[in-house]
Amino acid sequence: MNTPPPSRQRIFARIRAATQLAAETRSSVKGTSSVGQGFSPDNKPAQSMGAGRGGFQPTHLSPEVISSESLPRTYIRHGQLSPAARISLMIERLREYDAEVVECSPEELPNTIAAQLAASGKHKFVAPPGTPAAWMVTAAWQIQGLEWNIDHGLTTAEIEQAEGVVTAAFCGVADSGTIVLHHSPAEGRRVLTLLPDWHLCILRASQIVETLPEYFHRCPQPPALATWISGPSATADIEMTRIKGVHGPRFLHVILVRDE
Amino acid sequence: MRASLFITCYNDTLYPETGRAVVRLLERLGVELDFHPRQTCCGQMHANTGFRGEAFSQAKRFVRLYQDAETVVIPSSSCVAMIRDQYPMLFAEMGNETLRNQFAALLPRVCELSEFLIDRLGVEDVGAYFPHRVTYHASCHGLRALQLGDRPWRLMAKVRGLEQVPLQNLDRCCGFGGTFSVKNAEVSSAMLAVKLQDVIATGAEYCTALDNSCLMHLGGAMHRQYAGMKTIHLAQILASTEASPAEATL
Amino acid sequence: MNLAAAGHPVLDPTLAPPFPQAALPVLRNPQLRKNVAHAIDVIQAKRAKLVAEKADWQELRSAASAIRDHALENLGYYLEQFEARCTAAGGVVHWATDAAEARAIILELLRQENASEVIKIKTMTSAEIQLNPFLEAAGISAYETDLAEIILQLGDEEPSHIVVPALHINRSQVREIFARRMGLKDLSDDPQALTNAARTWLRQKFLTIPTAISGANFLIAETGSVVVVESEGNGRMCLTLPRAMITLAGIEKVLPRFQDLEVMLQLLARSATGERMNPYTSLWTGVTPGDGPERFHVVLLDNGRSSILASSRERQTLKCIRCAACMNTCPVYRQTGGHAYGSVYPGPIGAILTPQLMRMQHAQSLPYASSLCGACYEVCPVKINIPEVLLDLRALVTDQERGQFRRFLDPMYLGLRIANLIFSRAWLFHAAQFFGRIGLRFFTRKDGWIHSLPSLGAKWTQTRDLRGLPSQTFHGWWAARGSKPMKEAK
Repeated sequence: MNTPPPSRQRIFARIRAATQLAAETRSSVKGTSSVGQGFSPDNKPAQSMGAGRGGFQPTHLSPEVISSESLPRTYIRHGQLSPAARISLMIERLREYDAEVVECSPEELPNTIAAQLAASGKHKFVAPPGTPAAWMVTAAWQIQGLEWNIDHGLTTAEIEQAEGVVTAAFCGVADSGTIVLHHSPAEGRRVLTLLPDWHLCILRASQIVETLPEYFHRCPQPPALATWISGPSATADIEMTRIKGVHGPRFLHVILVRDE
Repeated sequence: MRASLFITCYNDTLYPETGRAVVRLLERLGVELDFHPRQTCCGQMHANTGFRGEAFSQAKRFVRLYQDAETVVIPSSSCVAMIRDQYPMLFAEMGNETLRNQFAALLPRVCELSEFLIDRLGVEDVGAYFPHRVTYHASCHGLRALQLGDRPWRLMAKVRGLEQVPLQNLDRCCGFGGTFSVKNAEVSSAMLAVKLQDVIATGAEYCTALDNSCLMHLGGAMHRQYAGMKTIHLAQILASTEASPAEATL
Repeated sequence: MNLAAAGHPVLDPTLAPPFPQAALPVLRNPQLRKNVAHAIDVIQAKRAKLVAEKADWQELRSAASAIRDHALENLGYYLEQFEARCTAAGGVVHWATDAAEARAIILELLRQENASEVIKIKTMTSAEIQLNPFLEAAGISAYETDLAEIILQLGDEEPSHIVVPALHINRSQVREIFARRMGLKDLSDDPQALTNAARTWLRQKFLTIPTAISGANFLIAETGSVVVVESEGNGRMCLTLPRAMITLAGIEKVLPRFQDLEVMLQLLARSATGERMNPYTSLWTGVTPGDGPERFHVVLLDNGRSSILASSRERQTLKCIRCAACMNTCPVYRQTGGHAYGSVYPGPIGAILTPQLMRMQHAQSLPYASSLCGACYEVCPVKINIPEVLLDLRALVTDQERGQFRRFLDPMYLGLRIANLIFSRAWLFHAAQFFGRIGLRFFTRKDGWIHSLPSLGAKWTQTRDLRGLPSQTFHGWWAARGSKPMKEAK
């Protein structure tokens, strides 16, 4: 049985005392001394009351924990745009980030992928293990010297050799032109979309929402891993001049599949 | 309409002509004005420097003095902001129930000058004549604390002969900041230099505002630099007529 | 150009000179002031445009403020939840009461990894605990990987802004630093070329150094996840490639739920860099086998935060999400840049956070480094009423002074005490005006203006004249005219 480390206990005791103290001073404020309460020595910790919540047993629950679910949220939580306008907005935002965007129907997808790969001039690609075979086969037929390296446990060195990567995505947020990866087998491990210099992302129209809250609404549960991509990496650290492509793929291409 | 004038400690001492202009203006508009002879200061200088106990003693005095006033008019946004923003905290922390009630009763009756003219008297055209090019400096207290909005411009728009020149970077602080101008004099002066560039660039003859505090700071530098522009409180512009033109104080 | 000539900027609040003094070399540096003004103008313009287009901006601010208030009010609960969930997902959570303890924990973890080198994502919390010099002294090289941080590290400079730390350095200065430290004699000063140089310089480090240190923008209590918001991709590199990962985070970084990010992420990038969304945001939970580090540690840091929590009005200081919108809009910061604040946290937020983290024992000049214009409060995405906290801290500093003998030597203190006495009685006030007028006559020139004053007054007359006191006060004029209203001249 591990005893909780003393630092942990001390910190929680301070927090408990602080929350207690603040609640007290709120109700009976007097003189200027109330202002300085936070900087006096630690007070004795108050009694804590527990109330379990889904699996973990909190011991530092203050008596009136109001669920954060009941906090007022009056910001926009649903988009207003028609599906067509939403797609247009997503494309517009992606292009603002200098991402190249082409559209196609579901039937045209393998050929469109092949065309994008051909146009890149690159030959060595990696793909996540869940990539549909159809995506890769058509390109392999059309492009001479094309090499697909599927990530069944590639080493970092092997991924570093790749010139490009092709993945699916979880969601697109039109308002900010954000592509969301939850790193499923079709989207790949995080390193796969990080090391190669060229990333082709297949985004379905049905995956696109207008606002960020709608993306959160779409998540069946919070993801363990997520990467939100809004354009290629950039810096403005030198005289505020925006430079693209510091680390991470400098070239982002998106195929928007009109599957609706 | 009756009103009591709180002139403010620094106007009383340094800018009595602003007070005289307020009197001329309001009496011309038919206001029965009185002036409590025992008034001194609202306590802002002390509150802003951290001397809360002292600020509170002045706040108490202010509230007691004006208990029976119908309306208190103050030609200084920063003093009104002090009363609206900091008095509640001072009375809550240091006052008793009686004082808090007195303050709560008084608060709605305290008014900055442009608020008094537009909101209480309902006038924008005060019959003024001031044939000059003027730029308006929006003091931070008036802009953010009191949210005066377009009131000053609405008043200036009705001043005959006045040509208004907009000021760039209007919402940027001039750097006065009360005791800040002395405690951080060099930074204050750097902010002043930057602000003055915008003010001088307007090519106006006068820079006006609803706070003589900012104008003392801007005008003091203008005078030091032989800048060819003068400062004048908006009350003096509004009081100015063809028969009695504004006292150009500089 | 570094400021060594005028004294290297000291970002340690226990050593830094008071703000008015620290600001002087900066005020005399036109290049630096120009760089600062340019940088913040760019960000501010972009921010303003995006805020104008966001119809629910004020609603988002209200929600963010409420979420952060709630998280702080129930901080114990949410920290405990975070610890449980993070641990269940394979992370190890450590607790550090202060900077020294945090440093010790991190060093011990690095020793366990046999690490002689570590790559770092920018984290101000690590600067707050002065981690890098400590690790260097223990024989561990800590490599910064953010472009600005590399510039600072290689150039031996100090950060002057929390989002764009090298904004005080222009391109030719960067070129000089890179050419010298990276051995690139023919490097041009084109920002693209400079960035490429940094990319190449760092690539090998990312691929070979197996231990990384990060901060956290947010800790999600509900899931035990950590969120890092960045632009360049070095964060992603440090989070995915190494075998062991240490995240250092202040205890106040907690958000209750994953969904709370829908508010915070909409506000953060717009406020910080004037973008709808920053290029890369990463979220991870504990350890995911096969994807990312095999060992993950979180070091939760108190270091004065729990004492700030205790004050019901000052607690709002901890809501900060480190966007730097406040300093981008601050007219004081515009003139002084960050170094004058003598802390890793500069600007308006620094003016309230730093003294409080120091438990009001240091940096007492910072609450006065403000004209109280209120611009910061207007832009703060979580609605921290910075002016309100500044005033509270000024009261605390003044109360400290009341107990010290040196107050009798402080002309401002004496002057304000006397002024209070004078304002307490009308006759004292009038007498002071009378004698003041006589006294100031000595300094008043023929044109009726005062050009120079002694003592505190000299601070005014350094750059401003003061009109001599008029011979009649307003109240004197009022008394003299009796009750006759003014007659309009015909």
